Amino acid sequence: MKSLLFSRFLLLLPWVLIVIIVLDIDSSRAPLPALAPRGGGGGSGGARPAAAAAAAAGRAPPPRRPEAALPTIYAITPTYSRPVQKAELTRLANTFRQVARLHWILVEDAAARSELVSRFVAGAGLPCTHLHVPTPRRYKRPGLPRATEQRNAGLAWLRQRHQHLPPPQPGVLFFADDDNTYSLELFQEMRTTRKVSVWPVGLVGGRRYERPVVENGKVVGWYTGWRADRPFAIDMAGFAVSLQVILSHPKAVFKRRGSQPGMQESDFLKQITTVEELEPKANNCTKVLVWHTRTEKVNLANEPKHHLDTVNIEV
Amino acid sequence: MPKRRDILAIVLIVLPWTLLITVWHQSTIAPLLAVHKACGCFIKLFILSTQLQHYPGLSDDGGDSRRDLAAGLDSKEYCLSDRDIVEVVRTEYVYTRPPPWSDTLPTIHVITPTYSRPVQKAELTRLANTLLHVPNLHWILVEDSQRRTPLITRLLRDTGLNYTHLNVETPRNYKLRGDMRDPRIPRGTMQRNLALRWLRETFNKNNSQPGIVYFADDDNTYSLELFEEMRSTRKVSVWPVAFVGGLRYESPKVNAAGKVYGWKTVFDPHRPFAIDMAGFAVNLRLILQRSQAYFKLRGVKGGYQESSLLRELVTLSDLEPKAANCTKILVWHTRTEKPVLVNEGKKGFTDPNVEI
Repeated sequence: MKSLLFSRFLLLLPWVLIVIIVLDIDSSRAPLPALAPRGGGGGSGGARPAAAAAAAAGRAPPPRRPEAALPTIYAITPTYSRPVQKAELTRLANTFRQVARLHWILVEDAAARSELVSRFVAGAGLPCTHLHVPTPRRYKRPGLPRATEQRNAGLAWLRQRHQHLPPPQPGVLFFADDDNTYSLELFQEMRTTRKVSVWPVGLVGGRRYERPVVENGKVVGWYTGWRADRPFAIDMAGFAVSLQVILSHPKAVFKRRGSQPGMQESDFLKQITTVEELEPKANNCTKVLVWHTRTEKVNLANEPKHHLDTVNIEV
Repeated sequence: MPKRRDILAIVLIVLPWTLLITVWHQSTIAPLLAVHKACGCFIKLFILSTQLQHYPGLSDDGGDSRRDLAAGLDSKEYCLSDRDIVEVVRTEYVYTRPPPWSDTLPTIHVITPTYSRPVQKAELTRLANTLLHVPNLHWILVEDSQRRTPLITRLLRDTGLNYTHLNVETPRNYKLRGDMRDPRIPRGTMQRNLALRWLRETFNKNNSQPGIVYFADDDNTYSLELFEEMRSTRKVSVWPVAFVGGLRYESPKVNAAGKVYGWKTVFDPHRPFAIDMAGFAVNLRLILQRSQAYFKLRGVKGGYQESSLLRELVTLSDLEPKAANCTKILVWHTRTEKPVLVNEGKKGFTDPNVEI
């Protein structure tokens, strides 16, 4: 009797294994991600040669299934025309091209798409969306927050794009100013954001770095050199928000009316989260993975008043 | 005579195992993971089913067995969670390795002098992010310091680039003090010379390994196209540089025959080589042949540093113009603002152990 049961069990065993594997393959095959139209794909197609090169190097190519499950990082970058614009965007693109599944949302402070940025986007080598919205002149005074309209335009685009798609692909959004410096480790850290994650920022607030103070894995305060009484004493480069949260708070935008200098981040974050919900990254906020660098204004003292050259070269 | 029942039994046993084996062979990492999980699940189910065996008559013992079975199902769902798969791939994207080394491409040796200041790590990080795209690149980082600092050592190791880490300290009387921009004392000269010496000691003149030498400051901005342009350098190649000399860009003057005959600059265009450090590249063979050619250290007028090296290597007519006959800007001489650290105070406020 026992041997009969045993033999029957042995018979069933491999079938059970097969059923489990088939179920596992089916359940893990995520729906193909709906990639945004690759306006900036270009001929180079940054991510793919890198992946192909990695495969050639002997490393097993990233399996299709986990890559589909990798949350997309959306980087909203406001930009405006000045001599170093192309240089800043170039080196930012060089960094972003190293990051898998990053979608760059570039928003110009201009009434129309400029040729420089359009050409740049065409040859950028990563998925890129090129938007533009001009800042009204009355808001261009020193002391007023900058790039509000541009960031809001990026948010609006993201919301509009995802209102027609089925349950949103996992995504993480962060605001990338074009003169900051980002290490590649930062993108790894922010990819696991569930709601809102935070981390230290270097060279800001008049200090070497600013950071959230973390105790037992929760943010309990702010270590900053400037107005530590703010509800979220953090720089624009110091947090990321998951796409879910952005979509579930459709009215959360950066304030223009009644906005105080330095309160931009606080006013935005308090619409979507609380300090208790924040997820500290970068080793409990003890590593600096992003720096608030600023580029010097270029010395153009020797430029003639009128264009004298025989050719017109873009810089 | 084998009974039909036996044949059926054998087939039923052999078939699934062959299926399993074929699936196993076709798999890559992910299904392996799945199988690993499946094995985990299987082990749980196996234990479960052995437990079940002790209850003859499964249907009778409704409560207990159903509960156990439910627990088994729950654990199966736990095994197959997506979260674990995302966790595993997370570590694969730390730093994308540089492109695989090619035996046919000339190596570009990029010499970068660097010195310690608050933005140093940031500058080197974004420079490394650019250099990681370039195939066959060898980064020679020379610190202006007494010893090789752990910050740079760690940074270089983590990037995954092919690198050489050197250091030489500029004697105090040659160093720039604070913000004083005294053009008589060129910064980075000793470091660049050390790198040249290292190249000459490491590579044999008769060695046929092709290479290009380029001096890249850590605060400039480089497009990827630039590196491909310089790879075809035979002796010394030149191209325009943006934001130098008080202009949008400075450029060599190229005639219709494709030869350089002058310099389009406002600041002292009569220098032998009125070009910025970032505006030229030298073939390694030339560096090795002219083994006494170095940057002049003392008595160099402002803006003449590049000339002090180039005049020992090449003449004007030998220069090769790149970047579409010097009409495209592929490198920008950006400078980073000194960060405002007024809130650190005299003694420093932030934890000095946190590296920035």
